[in-house]
Amino acid sequence: MTERDQLAAEYALGLLEGEDLLAARGRMANEPDFAAQVAFWESRLAPLLDEIGGAVPDEALWQRIAAEIETAPGGEVVSLQARLRFWQRAAAGAAMAAVGSVALLVLQPAPGPAEPALPGPLVASIPIGDTPLRLGVTYLPDRQEMLISASGLTADGVHDHELWLVPPQGELRSLGVVRPGREASMALDPDLADLIQDGAQMVLTREPLGGKPVGQAAGPVVAQGAFRTVG
Amino acid sequence: MTAATDQAREQLKAAMARLAGGDRAALEQVYRMTSVKLFGICLRILGDRKEAEDALQEVYVNLWRRADRYDPQRASPIAWLAVFARNRAIDRLRSGRVQREAAPLEAAAEVADAAPLAEDLLIDAERKARVHHCLGELDDNQRDNIRAAFFDGRTYADLAEAQGVPLGTMKSWIRRGMQRLKTCLEGAE
Repeated sequence: MTERDQLAAEYALGLLEGEDLLAARGRMANEPDFAAQVAFWESRLAPLLDEIGGAVPDEALWQRIAAEIETAPGGEVVSLQARLRFWQRAAAGAAMAAVGSVALLVLQPAPGPAEPALPGPLVASIPIGDTPLRLGVTYLPDRQEMLISASGLTADGVHDHELWLVPPQGELRSLGVVRPGREASMALDPDLADLIQDGAQMVLTREPLGGKPVGQAAGPVVAQGAFRTVG
Repeated sequence: MTAATDQAREQLKAAMARLAGGDRAALEQVYRMTSVKLFGICLRILGDRKEAEDALQEVYVNLWRRADRYDPQRASPIAWLAVFARNRAIDRLRSGRVQREAAPLEAAAEVADAAPLAEDLLIDAERKARVHHCLGELDDNQRDNIRAAFFDGRTYADLAEAQGVPLGTMKSWIRRGMQRLKTCLEGAE
């Protein structure tokens, strides 16, 4: 075996410690050939793990896991974030720069003939008051899914904030209560999804906990922004 | 392989695919189907229920956060999960969070080897036969120490001390054993 293959085998088997272990971890991250050797050993030795009998963990363990993932975005959100980063790079900054310049909210006249379907995502970066914080909203038209990132925000324990789409005509359409500190993805109803186009406006209102009570007017507008096509 | 095992594997595969879509119910299903097996692995390596439960929690939370790491083209879900759990447990052992007693190998072996579950998800019968055959071809000192590293998370230094041989001797036993093992396993390609 080459020195590389030998280290890969030692790493896969778990023999290493100290500096050798650190070196192997570094090569795992940086050398695909090294990682492939480790994967070879892992896959070939994996059947041995059937020799180890099962053991039943404490029943409360699942509750601990469920509580921990409650605050963590799942696979889909992570993959949406990866796609978003890709598009953000692809957008060369120009479109993103435009996102921050928000006009006063004015109900706009109905648009002209429907535009052809836009393949790329739409994003909005909504500044919160005069803080450096922003609410990130991404909509993927091909999947009718929306990602709301409120990771920089904190809850005050008294209010929630609700995000609304401002359609060209008619009443505000709720896009849901924004959960501070969270990333959330959601599917949109087709009729709501149809309203999300380049330039579509959103407002964020301050509401009692749980969002706008049924039958009452929405609370004060605390932030606003518009979708822009980046793809 | 029984029909029930086949069905369980298909269910697990489907749950893993839904997990990559951010489905929390899928994570619970994966947990229900695999936690007994993975806990057995963590417990064997760590030798302590509390540590093993913490390791298991890390396994599923990590799985949730990075469900896209699993590539169905490359490994069966249960093989991948079993290796993932073993690696997390070894990482934990090496990080120094676990002050494991230098327990004799025999004591460690008693922890979790009893009674594999009837509904156990077999990893891969063909590869299993091959790795057993190839291990059987090794000298005793090669095989025993490779197994102790694999099953109990022993380092070169642990093994040398346990056997009362110089570190260099242990390294050369194991390295020669790994070379022979690799040649034999590759012969099965």
